[in-house]
Amino acid sequence: MSKALALLAHDLRLLRHTTEYEFRKVLAFRVGFVVRELLNGVAHPAVMICLYFALYAQASSEAIGGWSFPEIVGYMILSACVQKMLFHHRLLEVADQIFTGHLTKFLVMPFRFFTLPLGRFVQNTLLQVAIATLCYFAGLYLVPDWWPRPASPSAAAQAFALVLLGSACFLLAYYCLAILAFWLDVVWSLSVMFMFVANFISGRMIPVSQMPPIFEAIFRWTFPYWALSAPIELFMGRTPEGFFLEGLGILLPTLLALELLRRVLWRLGRRRYVGAGM
Amino acid sequence: MSGALLSCRSARKVFRTHEREPGLRGFLRGLFKRKWLEVEALAGIDLEFAAGEFVGLIGSNGAGKTTLVKSMVGIIPVSSGRAELFGRDAFHLRDEEKRRLGVVMGQRSQLWWDLPALDSFELLRAIYDVPRAEFDQRLARYVELLDVADQLKIQLRHLSLGQRMKMEIIGAFLHGPEVVFLDEPTIGLDLIARETIRKFLVELNREEGATLVLTSHDMEDIEHTCRRLVILDQGAVVFDGELVELRQRIVGERAIELHLEPGTEDRAEGLAESLQAFEGRLSRENPLTLTVQVPASRAHDCIAHLLSVLAVRDLSVERQPLEDLIRQVYATPSLAAGLARP
Repeated sequence: MSKALALLAHDLRLLRHTTEYEFRKVLAFRVGFVVRELLNGVAHPAVMICLYFALYAQASSEAIGGWSFPEIVGYMILSACVQKMLFHHRLLEVADQIFTGHLTKFLVMPFRFFTLPLGRFVQNTLLQVAIATLCYFAGLYLVPDWWPRPASPSAAAQAFALVLLGSACFLLAYYCLAILAFWLDVVWSLSVMFMFVANFISGRMIPVSQMPPIFEAIFRWTFPYWALSAPIELFMGRTPEGFFLEGLGILLPTLLALELLRRVLWRLGRRRYVGAGM
Repeated sequence: MSGALLSCRSARKVFRTHEREPGLRGFLRGLFKRKWLEVEALAGIDLEFAAGEFVGLIGSNGAGKTTLVKSMVGIIPVSSGRAELFGRDAFHLRDEEKRRLGVVMGQRSQLWWDLPALDSFELLRAIYDVPRAEFDQRLARYVELLDVADQLKIQLRHLSLGQRMKMEIIGAFLHGPEVVFLDEPTIGLDLIARETIRKFLVELNREEGATLVLTSHDMEDIEHTCRRLVILDQGAVVFDGELVELRQRIVGERAIELHLEPGTEDRAEGLAESLQAFEGRLSRENPLTLTVQVPASRAHDCIAHLLSVLAVRDLSVERQPLEDLIRQVYATPSLAAGLARP
């Protein structure tokens, strides 16, 4: 028991160090920081707002699929905030490290390699939550009439919890795809394909509740929906009672399944690693 | 040998790869039907390294030395046989064993590219759980030995190759490993940096008793640091013994350099034929300087002959460099077979 606790303490200490290291890395270059960290996730919702503006201008009714234009703008603003917090595949280097053999140095060290991507996840989450919060309150101060407000503090807290869990699912899903590099040399393409599908399912482009009901019925079984579209609707007060628990019911088992898959893939993949370049 | 820290028992490693046929037709055929090849990188190696040894592991490209090192540090599993480190299957090392191991890869940085070396060392301290006092003491000593105090706070990417390699070596030794593998640690370095690194390694091996396994194509590295030499060829060990033993077993050649008295150059004519009696040959010929290569066992007689037929102003005899001996081993399969242990 004490050995397990010591191991956990060591892992947590290491996680703190790797998170610090990731922070220093992202802050090392100012332009890189602005482009990658501040502007990340902003362009897409901005384009979608323009697209929706054109659609609503042509529409015969004020609402499309149950969403008015101000509500859609609110959704897209929140989508930008959530998108910033969600983990994405560009944050992972493991596929490259497998291809180039840079993984070798970590394999001979006494720690679990996953601590490094986890450190990046923690760093990215902390930083993006801070930036998204600042942006949200800045917008609320500057354009209060257009800015979305939470239905209640508990709705905001529940939405935030779903986003964090969804982001962890994204970390594990992209990580599992990345470590297919032990077998395949097309993991980048697979990750990009997965990203497009996940973006659609998550409602990044269109709120899922605006899609045909069959889509919503299917997407509700997948974690991307609960990582973005669902928390936004929860935040805006557009969801029924028990919605949060339903989200937990999907996200927690998914998280567990992805973690098991990650461990299995890593174990199998390690046997195929050749340590190129040494 | 008892108390071996590292051992290989009939360690064999086979890589499976498919043959790629040339041209579009071959490419299309390869999409549906592949011809698989098995490449044997290690052909049943038996080796043991004891505590405190400084071993040179050499071999030509493709001889299997990198595969052997990767197997011994647990990066890749062996296909059959065993590779053990600290008495445990190397591919399944636990954190306890990894804490006793260090690896330096000349062509792959162990440190973090975006951080100053000092920050990388701190991260390594956290990974290896090194007590602060021990860490500070070691760091101060190694920094002094390798003379890199000024470069500790500079981002690794901004250091020169030599400075970087010194940092890599410090990083590999900071946790006080019992066994360190060094893969080409002096590759691309200048003479002074190479010399500094060699001295550092020798000192650490002597004073801290660390077992060092050095792979290098630079025979000077091996000659200046290692006592024991393992030569690999085509995945098998062709020599495993003391460096001096290799010199004894391969009766090498001697290079006799002669400086002639001015005005006596013409007397060197016909020398090449007379050298055949001593199995020697003229390897270099300038107007007043000649170099004769002759088997070590005939050197004495040959020198006497040369002094009798030439007006020699000065003479020097040099042993064959280790590099030449190794080349001789590779070029002569019968010699390699003769060196192999029974």
